Amino acid sequence: MVWFEHYFGLCIVQHGRIKVKTTAEQQEAKRKEREKKLKIYNAGTEAVFQKRKNKEFDEEGLKLSGELLGVNPDIYSFWNFRREIFIDLQDKREEAELQKLLQDELHFLEACLKVNPKSYGAWHHRCFVMDAIPEPDWGRELHLCNTFLNLDERNFHCWDYRRHVVLRSNVNLDEELQYTTQKIQSNFSNYSSWHYRSKLLPVIHPDSSHPVAVQEDVLLKEFEVVQNAVFTDPDDQSAWFYQRWLLGRGQKKLQICCVHVSRDLQRIVVLLSRPVMMGQGHCLTVSIDTTPVAGKWRTITGSRMYSTLWVIDLPDQSLPVDKQASIAVTLMDDRYCTKFSEGLQLMPDQEETWAVAEFKQGSRFSTELSAAATSTMAQELESIRELQSLEPNNKWVLLTMIHLMKAIDPEHTKYAAELEESFNKLAAVDTMRKSYYWDLRSKFLIESVLESHDSKVRDVKLCQRGLSCLYHTDWMVLVTSIDLSQNYLKSVRSLSDLQCLRSLNLDNNQLADLQGLAFCRRLTDLSVKNNSICNVEVFEELRTCVFLKKLSVAGNPVCAIEDNVTKICALNKSLQVVDEQDSIG
Amino acid sequence: MKESSVLPPRIEPAYSFPLNCSTNLAKGKFPPVCNRRGKMHVCNPCYLVSEDHASPVLLWDAYVFNSKGTPIKDVVIPDSAQKSLLLQKHCDYIASYGSKKDDYEYCITEYLRMSGMYWGLTVMDLMGQLNRMDKDQVLQFIQQCQHECGGISASIGHDPHLLYTLSAIQILTLYDAVDMVNVEKVVEYVRSLQQDDGSFYGDKWGEVDTRFSFCAVACLSLLGRLDAIDVDTTVEFVVTCMNFDGGFGCRPGSESHAGQIYCCVGTLAITGNLHHINADLLGWWLCERQLPSGGLNGRPEKMPDVCYSWWVLASLKIIGKIHWIDKEKLEKFILACQDEETGGVSDRPGNIVDPFHTLFGVCGLSLLGNETIKPVNPVYCMPEDVIQRAGIRLELL
Ligand SMILES: [Zn+2]
Repeated sequence: MVWFEHYFGLCIVQHGRIKVKTTAEQQEAKRKEREKKLKIYNAGTEAVFQKRKNKEFDEEGLKLSGELLGVNPDIYSFWNFRREIFIDLQDKREEAELQKLLQDELHFLEACLKVNPKSYGAWHHRCFVMDAIPEPDWGRELHLCNTFLNLDERNFHCWDYRRHVVLRSNVNLDEELQYTTQKIQSNFSNYSSWHYRSKLLPVIHPDSSHPVAVQEDVLLKEFEVVQNAVFTDPDDQSAWFYQRWLLGRGQKKLQICCVHVSRDLQRIVVLLSRPVMMGQGHCLTVSIDTTPVAGKWRTITGSRMYSTLWVIDLPDQSLPVDKQASIAVTLMDDRYCTKFSEGLQLMPDQEETWAVAEFKQGSRFSTELSAAATSTMAQELESIRELQSLEPNNKWVLLTMIHLMKAIDPEHTKYAAELEESFNKLAAVDTMRKSYYWDLRSKFLIESVLESHDSKVRDVKLCQRGLSCLYHTDWMVLVTSIDLSQNYLKSVRSLSDLQCLRSLNLDNNQLADLQGLAFCRRLTDLSVKNNSICNVEVFEELRTCVFLKKLSVAGNPVCAIEDNVTKICALNKSLQVVDEQDSIG
Repeated sequence: MKESSVLPPRIEPAYSFPLNCSTNLAKGKFPPVCNRRGKMHVCNPCYLVSEDHASPVLLWDAYVFNSKGTPIKDVVIPDSAQKSLLLQKHCDYIASYGSKKDDYEYCITEYLRMSGMYWGLTVMDLMGQLNRMDKDQVLQFIQQCQHECGGISASIGHDPHLLYTLSAIQILTLYDAVDMVNVEKVVEYVRSLQQDDGSFYGDKWGEVDTRFSFCAVACLSLLGRLDAIDVDTTVEFVVTCMNFDGGFGCRPGSESHAGQIYCCVGTLAITGNLHHINADLLGWWLCERQLPSGGLNGRPEKMPDVCYSWWVLASLKIIGKIHWIDKEKLEKFILACQDEETGGVSDRPGNIVDPFHTLFGVCGLSLLGNETIKPVNPVYCMPEDVIQRAGIRLELL
């Protein structure tokens, strides 16, 4: 099933064959011609299979299979037959003769590739021949790549073969970089060349401490190259994708960011900076009053995916009510071990305690764009603004401006209004991708709110912010109250991360279900007024929320049937279900 | 509107450009076509002279120019294009496709027969008419294609390969009949193709490609035997094929390509390693594949194609970002690729249909929510109920 640019020549599964209206006469002529062709084809195929069966590994085998592969290079078994022939002849022929045969094979392959430059089989066979030939001429191969890339500069088979040749013959990588520069100069819109640069730079100018692994001064020069390209043709996506890479995104260092201990739920929740899988290179350990605690770490939902949040259910009586406890959590991976929150104290009268790692203001989510120094980004923003004045409706320009503004000002203090305006414009000029832009906007908004909070804030207000989705809910693990009303949310699945949540306002969203809330076991007050909940079964999700006292459901289609409210009430004894719009102030 | 004299007379399409692009005429080479809201839209319908050099045919492939004169490769969907799904016609097309065993096109595609059968059978199941296919004949054929080494070939007489081994296992899963082949040997064959770096050869001849990583992992997971390979290094290899744009290529260093991305994202989904993906970055690249016509291409600056629409759409579904493309427009594009006379779906409007694009067109519509088609599993490209029956539960983003 996995066939891409694979269907050429005689093949039925073909790209770009135009349906042509023909007369009955023409059809008959074509049928006759095809009948003839098929006869030849079948006879040829039969002959090749017969020779192979008889293990006749000779020049005639090459000739017969070559005739068919010349028209259809995708008959993979015939390439295999040719390889068998060459392997057989390796011991039987003189080196000079073998050299000649394999050289002929290279010429044959060139002819095939001219007709079908995207044949996987032919390109792979060329690698085989170059490995088998007694005296390979790699210089000629590089030249061949140049020729083919001149014909089609996006032929990824040829680019891959080129990288193979470069690797085998130790071509100087600086020359390869030079080659991509030439290609880009002759046509900026050359995604393959930009791609190759992204692979070459970290090898030629490595800097392992850098998020994109390239030396800063080299990156600055690359910015110039890109700028040249985007000013020449601001609609060309290749350069913009490349520029996004230059702006960089770093891998976060793995560390414990937050630990929360709950006495009555008898459990500890840990937030990590990156998703991991416990037991696969990483493990967390807990000790209470220096005694190690036995238990199995799990994700909140029981999902088997990598996660940033991990929970351990403590054995009974691990945290007795009347006793002070000292809790230590340690994260270990294959290489190093970080102790964290040593001596986190849970006092006798406390229900819960927590500790949060210190972060430099504005640094928690900035890894998306952190490669370039702030001064570089400010400069970039300056020139992009210039471009914007020339191209006010260019989506690439708008999006890049947005990213730069966000990177320079993670808390949205400086550019808040401009960001908002840019997002609106972006969604208007590129309506096909408006959902992407709204989600990005939601992400940035949530980041800015979380960045500006310190860890003591457990009450988050995100009402009426135009949110289309939720991001970074794992960072809200300590939040006890959140107002998400009057947004455009369609799913609250990720709210399961909010393990301390007591009060949740979801009024005036677009929710049809409440999936995820089953895991918010502390929830006492929930309002979902004016959503799109139709089925009473949706509320089954809340059965595990045993502390739930108040649930407001007014304004949902489900309320149309009076009986439904009674059914929802039955979820737990102390639950009060409100289905009147004005009963909550 | 002046027509360039070198071109044959144009069959007038109903031009409706969703694009809003100003242009300076690219060196006068291309005829202006229409002028809306004061802005010039230029396109160059390509003409193809048919074999007898008599009747020129209009290709819907148009070149639309952006403000700097760079052509945007896309097609124009005529207003007359088909707008409803011709399900029964597609069923009839597939059912009759395999029955003409001495047909020219059928014969010369023997080297991919196993995959061809998978495309046809899967799309028939999705359309609820799998019972029209000759099950016994299919199963017997697959049995005959298993080799001593355990691998399965495209057809009798051809060599075993991972591509066809996966197709065969997919068909057997469809029929709930994996025991028809020697499963232990299949597992052994797949295992034998894994290399130290975690990559997979496609067959004993040593071509390495992330497509084969997907084939191996998909095949073994359908057989419930992922334990037979080193999953950690499999994942490591796929991750080394990740690129600056968040996408994936054939091998480390290769350019991102929607088909390759589908294979890598699928491999990571099956092995529970989707966290390696930067969903925001990759999702952005993927939704930028959608062109003004609504169709999706497989790489920047390429033509839209129904099958690429599938690779992109399925990948977006797996990473939880399917809403980032314009569903209505894509649906319109796929429906326009149907052939009203013969049934079946082609790569682009007006082209010749084939089972391959028929499957991916129907799968695309299923992912877009068309309820007359069975839900399709975005990772395996098989009916969701079949995947459930096989006991596979995947967590997507
Ligand atoms: Zn296609």
